[in-house]
Parts: sequence; C-alpha cells; structure tokens
Amino acid sequence: MNDSKETAENRASDEAPRDALMAAAASLPKEIKPGRDLWPGIEQKLHHARAGAWKGRGPFNSLFAQAAAVLLVIGASSGLTYFAVKDDGSRVSPVVTDVARVFEPVSGSFGSRYNLGPDFQDARDSLAARLEVEMQKLSPESRAEVQQSLDTIHSAIVEINKALADEPDNVLLQDLLLRTYHNELALMQKVGGIRNSAMRRTDI
Amino acid sequence: MAAGETDRVSEDAPVTEELVKDEGYWVERAQDGDVAAFEVLYRANIDRVYALCLRMTANVAEAEDCSQDAFIQAWQQLSKFRGDSAFATWLHRVAVNSVLGRMRKARRERDRVEAVFDISPFTESIGDDAEFQDLEKAMDSLPDGARHVFVLNAVYGYSHDETGAMLGIAAGTSKAQLHRARRLLAEQLQTQSGAA
Repeated sequence: MNDSKETAENRASDEAPRDALMAAAASLPKEIKPGRDLWPGIEQKLHHARAGAWKGRGPFNSLFAQAAAVLLVIGASSGLTYFAVKDDGSRVSPVVTDVARVFEPVSGSFGSRYNLGPDFQDARDSLAARLEVEMQKLSPESRAEVQQSLDTIHSAIVEINKALADEPDNVLLQDLLLRTYHNELALMQKVGGIRNSAMRRTDI
Repeated sequence: MAAGETDRVSEDAPVTEELVKDEGYWVERAQDGDVAAFEVLYRANIDRVYALCLRMTANVAEAEDCSQDAFIQAWQQLSKFRGDSAFATWLHRVAVNSVLGRMRKARRERDRVEAVFDISPFTESIGDDAEFQDLEKAMDSLPDGARHVFVLNAVYGYSHDETGAMLGIAAGTSKAQLHRARRLLAEQLQTQSGAA
C-alpha cells in the first residue's frame, strides 16, 4: 500500500513538470522566418513542375493546344486509314509536279528525359526521300490527298511541340507526339510501298 | 481537427494587407494559374510553414527544402482545395505530407542536432527566452516518431486522431509516442537544468 502511494506521489510529481512542458510547447512561436527568401526557388520550380490536375483549369492556350493536337491527330489517323484501305489501282504513270514537299528536321522532345535520336531522323529522311519518288507515281488527286494528310500531321506535330514547350513533361502530349510521328511514318511507308516496317520507335 | 483547434490554426495564420482583402480571391486566382496570386499566399504563410518544417525535420536545410516542396505541392494540388477549411490549415497538412515524404525518401540521419542553433534567424525569431530555446533544443534530440507527434500534438494542438491521420499511424500509437516524447523531454530538460 505504501508502495502504491509512493508510486502515485512519484507519478504526480512527474506529471506536474510534464503539464508545464505541454503548456510551454503550446506557447512556442508558430511562425519562424526562414533565413532566406524561398520564393525564387519555388517560382522557378513552378514553371517546370509537372502539369497537375489544376492545369485543366489554367490558361486556355495550353488547353486549346492539347485539344487542337488531339483533333489533328484524329484527322491524321483518319487520313491514314483512308489510304490504308484504298485500292492501289490509283497508281498512274509518273507526272511532274511543281509542289515542293519539304520535310523539315524534326525537333520533337519527349519530356525532359527523352529526345528524338539521330537514328530516327536518318530513317525519317530516308522515308521522306522515298516518298518523294513514290508521290510522282500517284494521280494528282491521290497526291493531293496524301499531301493533305501529311500537312495535317505536320500541323499536329507543330501544335503538340508548342504545347510541349510549355509543359515538357505532360504525358498526354508526349503520347500524342509519339502517335503523330507514328502516323506520319505509317503514311510515308504506305505511300512508299514499304510492306515490312523497319521503323520502330526504340530510339527515344 | 476539432473545432477549437481549427480556429486556433487559422487564427495563427499571418495576416497581410493583401490577405485581408479576401483569401479566397487569391486562392481562386492562383487556381486559375496566376503565379503572382500564389506568391501572395506564399508570403502570407511561409513563416508558419517553415516553422512546422523546421520543428519536424530539426534541420534548417531540410526545412527550407520541405517548405519549398510544400508550396510546389500546394500549387499542383490547388484544384483539390475546396475552401472547406482555411487555406493555412490545408497548407499545413500539405507541409506535413511534404516533410514525411522527404523523410521517407531519405532516411539517413543528418547533422541536424546543432544545425538549428547555428542559424541566427531562427534563434532571433524565437527571442531570447531561455526556456523556449531549451525546449526547442530538447525537441531536436527526440527520435523522429516522437518528435513528429509532439510537434503536431503539443505545439500545434492537433488531436491524436488528426495527428495519427497525418502521420499514417493509429491514434493509440500517437498517444504512446507523445508519452514517450514527454518522458524524454522531461529527462532532457532536467539534464540541461542540472548542467546549468
């Protein structure tokens, strides 16, 4: 009994400073000024931060660019589908055309970690050269259709790259860009008569 | 958070001239992507966020990184803020998550014990009160788990349920960690006063 009384007294004497401790803790200042201004670092990171869910509510230009890119890719895919199912009977004798098709070097970026490799550019240039030859064999009507599809794809690439410049790590845009390049290559292969694709996007 | 505690946290939020206009106004603008509006929110809350990060990490450099992370995460998650609580309260939770995330990522011990007191702005900001400094120093020496619970429960007044929810532990564990922290702090403070 004496033991238990002693224990209780000890506990009481222990509790008193602990309550004072809790009171002291609660009265500690809740604000401490950092030794330096942290905002410049934050602001810099905000511009490079991965696009979050709120971005959808953000500036319209980014949203518009993404929507436009999606539509362009759908358009390009439709064009590709059209040529994929079209009968090869449309081929006619070579004709001279004064429409110059210039394949600008691509400068696509797939986020901060991936860039188009030189192998991809070489293969694309090769396909573009072959396309030039094959295009001469198409009827003016087919040639115009192919050109229209290529223009649509290139517009999509430009739009997606613009959006990616603002949001380099946007997964949706990266995926769109990949699919758009895939559509471009597929169209070039189709028109060029390449049956077995040697192009695989393993270089990024 | 209990009602009284909610008030306590929001009342403690620093009040600036801009924020007096309407916190919701700046939050809404920031949600629309206005970085300048977000800077207003940053200026109004940084001291509070930094204090929490500093006490949770007990390391000045870590606290600065955690504070920056907290605001970046807040910016990214701003659409999730519905205004159900004060922005400062919501930001507080984001900051706790930021600290825990970073500490989980890098579990290694750092040179933290004395670092806090090597930085003059910190000691200046808490004044010359020796009791405060002794307590802050004793808190720094606590193990992470006990320190986190003590900071959230004893310093910031969160309940054990809230503390447990924020730290990802059971309320009972929070109580046990608080008991441990109080015991270790009492011993530490006794040692300090004995040495003095």
